[in-house]
Amino acid sequence: MTSATRALQAAGEGRLELQALVAALSRRYTVVSGPRLLVGRVQLDTFDRRLRAEGLALEHQRLATGELLVLRRPGAASAVAVPVTGLRWPALVEVLPTGPIREAIAPVIGVRALMVTSDEKRRMRRLELHNEDGKIVARVELDEPASGAGAPAQVTVRSLRGYDEEARRADRLLVGLGLQALDRPEDREPSSAPPKSGPSRAVPARLVLTKALIDYLMTIRENLPGLLDDVDTEFLHDFRVAVRRTRATLKLGRPALPDAMRLEWEPAFRWLGDLTTPVRDLDVYELDLPVMSQWLVTADPADLEPLATHLRGRRTSERRVLVRSLRSARFRRLIMEWGEELARLLDGSGDADCEPLSAGHLADRSITRAYRRVARGGALIGADSPAEDLHELRKRCKELRYALEVFDALIDDAARKRAVDDLKEVQDVLGRFQDTEVQRRALREFAGEMMADGTTAGAMLAMGELIGHLDVEQNRARREFDVPFARLVRPSNRHLMHQVGGAT
Amino acid sequence: MKVLATYNIKGGVGKTSTAVNLAYLAAREGRRTLLWDLDPQSAATYMFRVRPRVKGGSHALVTGGRPIEAALKATDFDNLDLLPADFSYRNMDLELDDTKKRTRRLGQLLKSVEDDYDIVFLDCPPSVSLVSENVLHASDTLLVPLIPATLSLRTLDQLTRFVADSEGSRPEVVAFFSMADRRKRLHRDVIEAIPRDRTRIADTVIPALSIIEQMAERRAPVPAFAPTSRAALCYEELWAEVRPF
Repeated sequence: MTSATRALQAAGEGRLELQALVAALSRRYTVVSGPRLLVGRVQLDTFDRRLRAEGLALEHQRLATGELLVLRRPGAASAVAVPVTGLRWPALVEVLPTGPIREAIAPVIGVRALMVTSDEKRRMRRLELHNEDGKIVARVELDEPASGAGAPAQVTVRSLRGYDEEARRADRLLVGLGLQALDRPEDREPSSAPPKSGPSRAVPARLVLTKALIDYLMTIRENLPGLLDDVDTEFLHDFRVAVRRTRATLKLGRPALPDAMRLEWEPAFRWLGDLTTPVRDLDVYELDLPVMSQWLVTADPADLEPLATHLRGRRTSERRVLVRSLRSARFRRLIMEWGEELARLLDGSGDADCEPLSAGHLADRSITRAYRRVARGGALIGADSPAEDLHELRKRCKELRYALEVFDALIDDAARKRAVDDLKEVQDVLGRFQDTEVQRRALREFAGEMMADGTTAGAMLAMGELIGHLDVEQNRARREFDVPFARLVRPSNRHLMHQVGGAT
Repeated sequence: MKVLATYNIKGGVGKTSTAVNLAYLAAREGRRTLLWDLDPQSAATYMFRVRPRVKGGSHALVTGGRPIEAALKATDFDNLDLLPADFSYRNMDLELDDTKKRTRRLGQLLKSVEDDYDIVFLDCPPSVSLVSENVLHASDTLLVPLIPATLSLRTLDQLTRFVADSEGSRPEVVAFFSMADRRKRLHRDVIEAIPRDRTRIADTVIPALSIIEQMAERRAPVPAFAPTSRAALCYEELWAEVRPF
């Protein structure tokens, strides 16, 4: 297997001459030069760069002789190449041929689509360096831009496992020719960035809130194109999370923000959140359907095909409504004016009517209050509590979570982590409870619609089985609630949450 | 990581050709592949133009004095590495005998590279020995090439019993006919008559072809230097039958 030793380029404005390279390397090796290839090199990753986060690099190479998908892994940087045909981007992992590349990246990218992050045409020539046994002991790649634009020409020496010394020798021969090491950004170790310095507790709360709101607005803007193009379901998900965080921040920030926020912007973002709910719900059903089909005991998974068709149809029409709204003047105005509003808040010109609270004070107040509401709401939950009460409690938990996130720079990391870990467990149980509740209700609704469309009896029976399974799951979630909740409100945690909330 | 071993008590039945060609085919489809040439005759090592030398020899590898990662060599083919043979492997039985868990040592050694490879081929020497017992425990599949002759069937019986009598996890045994000459009546009769109920017998038959013998001369796998040859197609068929993915 191969790995790059280092890349070299000509000094100054000098050119890389193939003949000179071959002559230098021939002093020690038998050099076999491959044909000059024009290669289209398309770098791929998900929108949120999941491959890069795992140290993976995926490239779609288009050559005259065919197409290759090349995956470089971290560590040994060994590359796996598989032939492919007819791939177009963006695309979900399912379009990749089954095999090692798909197996390696599927768990990393999940439901996200692969998108083009850069696209460049290069001229490449590969040289093989053979020893006296005729064995290839190193490879050298000459890589030039196909046109004037693009990264400059470079030579990469690729070492072969067990023959590292030969690659170093080849490198020395090329350096002797006057080539210089190329400092490629992707080869550099991450710079030792200065430690994150958060705002102090004395900073005006308005500033901390506004910065968080600006971040959420950026997320909304970044995800909009992928959402409109329906690249993958996560664009809508991330868009919705940013909207939800905006709403939660506006709510918890009421004491420190101008009244206009509550009167004008809270309803505006409620509208935006509600707008996206139907499509997201349908996405969740579609994504969950393969798992749900495994619950079936008596029915056949194929019996759910009419449900899948129904979901797709519903999603198409709901998406049409969503896209129309997101292309509307109302939405464009909302985003534009919200940006302007935040800019005014940031420079202090829009906060004449708000209370001059410090960030520390608001953090204390918000976190303590949110925690108290969670503790009080959770204590009232019993075996007979209606589903609405659990749903309300879930919302309170989310508010506490957002408060911990918005003010995370003011809170001790270890304390926050412990608080969030316990909170997450409660949220997980409540999430399962609520999801099963919503799914049960939705399945009944879909069943009614499908009956009207004359669906099969098999589909109805299979859906009935799913509802039965959801009942069992919901009861299980309810039974499991007490333990994580007791952990969240135990005395040591209560003390911790007050500490996190800054009551010191 | 899956481990496939080409093994037979008899020599000269096509173990090395099979290991080399199937390892090449696995690597060609993008699997990170390792071939460990356990035979001190080092035929597989020779075919990949690698020098049959491991620093510290069998002793260093078996005792862990030298990690196997340090002995690995890339072949000329993408995704395919070789752990070369060394003449000292002739003493591997003795080295293994001195270790704890002496029948599982090779499997333990392979654990250290399980994150680096999707599949490992073990090209075994022709014997029943401690090395063979290690191979049984380390492998998921035992590929057994058989020349279509009466004695080969007897050998397969012996080998099947050897696997059945071994303790712990046992590999799946997959036998296939190798070096078959359909012009010979005996070969045809044996291929027809072999009982298929006790041991899995692959449908693919690898014929006796001179191009397979040329591997030693060309020092490369058949599908690399003669990709459209009948032999290459037969190995592709065999790989399709036994591939664990």
